[in-house]
Amino acid sequence: MTRDFFEFFDLPRNLSIDTKDLEKRFYALSRKWHPDLFARKSEAEREESLEATAVLNDGYRTLREPIARALYLLKREGFDVAEQGSKDVPADLLEEVFELNMAVEELQDGDESARAQLISARQRFEAMRAELDAELQQKFAAWDAGHDKAALTEVRAVLNRRKYITNLIAKANVPDRV
Amino acid sequence: MAYSDKVLDHYNNPRNVGSMDKSSDSVGTGMVGAPECGDVMKLQIRVNDASGIIEDAKFKTFGCGSAIASSSLATEWLKGKTVDEALQIKNTDIVNELSLPPVKIHCSVLAEDAIKAAINDYRSKQTVKADVGQMEHAVA
Repeated sequence: MTRDFFEFFDLPRNLSIDTKDLEKRFYALSRKWHPDLFARKSEAEREESLEATAVLNDGYRTLREPIARALYLLKREGFDVAEQGSKDVPADLLEEVFELNMAVEELQDGDESARAQLISARQRFEAMRAELDAELQQKFAAWDAGHDKAALTEVRAVLNRRKYITNLIAKANVPDRV
Repeated sequence: MAYSDKVLDHYNNPRNVGSMDKSSDSVGTGMVGAPECGDVMKLQIRVNDASGIIEDAKFKTFGCGSAIASSSLATEWLKGKTVDEALQIKNTDIVNELSLPPVKIHCSVLAEDAIKAAINDYRSKQTVKADVGQMEHAVA
């Protein structure tokens, strides 16, 4: 496994991150590990600087975005984020997502009159996502308060739901004019 | 990534799309999903209570081409099988038939899960029916 991003940036394993502070750390570490500084060093040191630069860039991209950051932490904490399958998706969520998909599909197949409904469906999904983002902030804070694994399980549940809603938003997309 | 001809065929002409009355005792419904890709799959079977043979199967999947093809193929295979035979269908059979690449194997897993969920649902309804029958018998 590659170096842990939180360790590399010398950050606590928190889900709420001050991105300004992260940026400062990124620049400082960039200066420290810049390959130019290692041009006349040993092969091993040059290698180390290249590796560090790669971790630095990946880490910055990942930690900067709240969703990517949360998925990364879940993975590092042993959650099977890429786990394929349905094992812990609540049945009522699947039921709801299925119905919403059916509704969107019907509208997409519909005529011009379905346009307004599609637009309002999309707005509704966007409102749902905004609510989920607010909920995510609370779950982040709950994890940060004591690094209790149970909090991460809840973070994952919200992320799952959010992924479905994000897909629905993309599906309910309508061109401005037909 | 290119889809195999068989995936494209199922994707363009999905078999057995639709739904059945999920409140019927003869119908088993399996609803599964893969949140990482945002897929959701519903698969239903209608079983002949006397013979235990799956007489009809329907599905509706919101997801990628491989997920649609996997569930479409599953409904084709289910028809005419007994419930026990249906439980023998493995995701690897679907992978082989559709030539799914490694990144799409989870789609076949989803289809296998959907089959199992539908059969579980059907069986639990049958158990409830048997229990109620016994109770009614006892009361009579």
